[in-house]
Amino acid sequence: MGTIFSIYLYAPSEQAARTLAEAAFDEVDRVDELLSNYRPSSELSRINREAAQGPVVTDRETFSFLATSLDWSARTGGAFDITVGRLMKAWGFFRASGHVPSEAELAETGRQVGWQKVILNPQQRSVRFNVNGVELDPGGIGKGYVVDRMVDLLRAQHVSAALISAGGSTIYAIGAPPGERGWKVQVPNPEDKQRPISTVLLRDTSLSTSACSEKFFVLEGHRYCHIMDPHTLRPIENMVQTTAIHPSATASDALSSSLFVLGPEASERLLNDMPQASALLLSGHTHVEHCTSIRWNDSLDGDVCHHTAAKIPRKEAP
Amino acid sequence: MNRRSFLRGASASVMASGMTPVFAQSLEKSLAPSDTVSVGVIGPGSRGQELMRKLLRTPGVGITAACDIYEPRFAEVDQLVGSAVPRYKDYRQLLERKDLDAIVVATPLYLHAEHVKAALNSGRAVYGEKSMGFTAEDSQSILQTVQQSGKIFQVGHQYRYAAWFQDAVSRARDLQIGRVTQVVAYWNRNNDWRRPVADPKDERLINWRLYKEYSGGLLTELGSHHIDLANWVFGEQPTDVMGTGSIAVYHDGREVDDNVQVVFGYSEGRRLTFTSMTSNSLVGEQIWIYGTNGSLQLTLQDATFYYEPRPVHPVSPQSEVMQHGVTTGASFRAGGEMPYRGKGTPLGSANGDDPTQLACQSFIECVREKKAPIADVHVGYRAAIAATYANRSIQSGCKETIPPAPAAG
Repeated sequence: MGTIFSIYLYAPSEQAARTLAEAAFDEVDRVDELLSNYRPSSELSRINREAAQGPVVTDRETFSFLATSLDWSARTGGAFDITVGRLMKAWGFFRASGHVPSEAELAETGRQVGWQKVILNPQQRSVRFNVNGVELDPGGIGKGYVVDRMVDLLRAQHVSAALISAGGSTIYAIGAPPGERGWKVQVPNPEDKQRPISTVLLRDTSLSTSACSEKFFVLEGHRYCHIMDPHTLRPIENMVQTTAIHPSATASDALSSSLFVLGPEASERLLNDMPQASALLLSGHTHVEHCTSIRWNDSLDGDVCHHTAAKIPRKEAP
Repeated sequence: MNRRSFLRGASASVMASGMTPVFAQSLEKSLAPSDTVSVGVIGPGSRGQELMRKLLRTPGVGITAACDIYEPRFAEVDQLVGSAVPRYKDYRQLLERKDLDAIVVATPLYLHAEHVKAALNSGRAVYGEKSMGFTAEDSQSILQTVQQSGKIFQVGHQYRYAAWFQDAVSRARDLQIGRVTQVVAYWNRNNDWRRPVADPKDERLINWRLYKEYSGGLLTELGSHHIDLANWVFGEQPTDVMGTGSIAVYHDGREVDDNVQVVFGYSEGRRLTFTSMTSNSLVGEQIWIYGTNGSLQLTLQDATFYYEPRPVHPVSPQSEVMQHGVTTGASFRAGGEMPYRGKGTPLGSANGDDPTQLACQSFIECVREKKAPIADVHVGYRAAIAATYANRSIQSGCKETIPPAPAAG
């Protein structure tokens, strides 16, 4: 997981806190050995290497993770897709600087992308790709999954107040600090880091944010975002930032990724069937032009989209 | 007669007669390729669960029984396997099951010998975690039990299964980096090596690695892998050892050192130097094999060759040219004493497979095909006995002579 994990937690002593935090970081390492596509020895890398040749029997946890990922693909009509590995490479977002692929490259890549090309067999607990070249990339869901496992571990150790962050993009709050109602978490402002868009209180829930502000490349004045539309095989153009809140960090991570691809209207339709989820979407071509809040009622700032307009200076058309 | 004395009796009669144990024979069934290999796990803690995960990735394997004295482990096992796995608090009851083909022993080190020997004597193939034995007597008795029972025993020295380790060691042994005289191994971490303990009464049960009654500390839990690697490179076990260690950071009631430095002697003056600390992780885990013409760096994911810079010998006008070369008063090497900072040459054989995954798959293959494992009891013995005597040296402050393996018989 190419990210930095951090934990704030309350424990009876400093030593107990250190031991608990280290156990949680050990859990990150353990899950990294399952899911990292940067680590050749991971189970996911083994599946990427072997599943086109035939069914790969895997462990229950990896199988369940893949089933959950494909379920998100089905729910989002393919907006969420962990088979974008080749696509990320084609656009130079894997261990490389950006690159705009040719139409021929994209056409070839398109044959290797698509969640329906991953065949799961629950009886055998096996994974198979029905075409060569498919590569799973857990980027849109993996951090959330790791955070959930850290939460499980800390809860099993009776930790009642902790804040876990995976690079700031997925955050989970266990309980609340003593005397507080929850952990205060700020949603970043993509255009002004000093003035957060929203501040929410999290308690036993998670928040994930997807944005282009950290990972993109510019070529001939055009900004290419690292979040891909699996249907067009191109970077998303009209979205700036999406944030989702959900009791499961896996879900909020997958949701923030999906909403980024779906855009405001389809996102509202998707969240209609997910009463536990809320979301805040900032859309626009190069700058924030629209704010969409969906059940975003946890904000300490009141009407978040109203305030957002005030916090983000409007760019006048030339 | 209880179960243990019955088993001991069965083994003793085998020694005398040289026949296959009747009890063992009755439990061993031949496996068709389509049969599920049924595995029982004694000690499904963190390492045991890791092995279970790897075994479940191997087609045709079922985890059929688990034994632990720590109740919460059973729910973890059920979660991992996805069904209610029959649970036992006494390993002897697990071994009485008739449907097990193989046993995994991943208990704390001080229990390895008791559990491995009982599992072997029950007629099953055994995968035993390293270090093979806690004491010299433990390792010797496991060796004897394997030899007498004729059962498959694989020890958890999984580096032996990774292609890049195999290729690198083969190149080192073929003198492709010149004469190898030194192996230098590091395993550095920056954590207190503690596991969280919900109830203080479970401290020694959960953190057994920190107490000398149960654990050999960093040498057995980490260093035994590196000892095995050096044994592999040098083709023998070390003859002597000097070590030291201390508790430098974690004064938290633990008994084992939080840092150790150990030098193992092999024949012809060759050496393994193992160092481990738990207060700085910059170096991480890596092993360097130094030869007269080059160096080889091994990690858990890859291997890299570094060739020694080509020596440059200036010749002065007064030099006397001899028949076999040039005699000079001094020699000069480009680059001086500065460390090499360029790139090495990656070894082509690194395919990224996880060594423990490969070891578990190979074990199942051995069970199915009745093959001898690569990391066999001799591999386990040579590393374990060296780790045991290294700890003796740390304790005594003296150089210790490591006894050779007893002759088979």
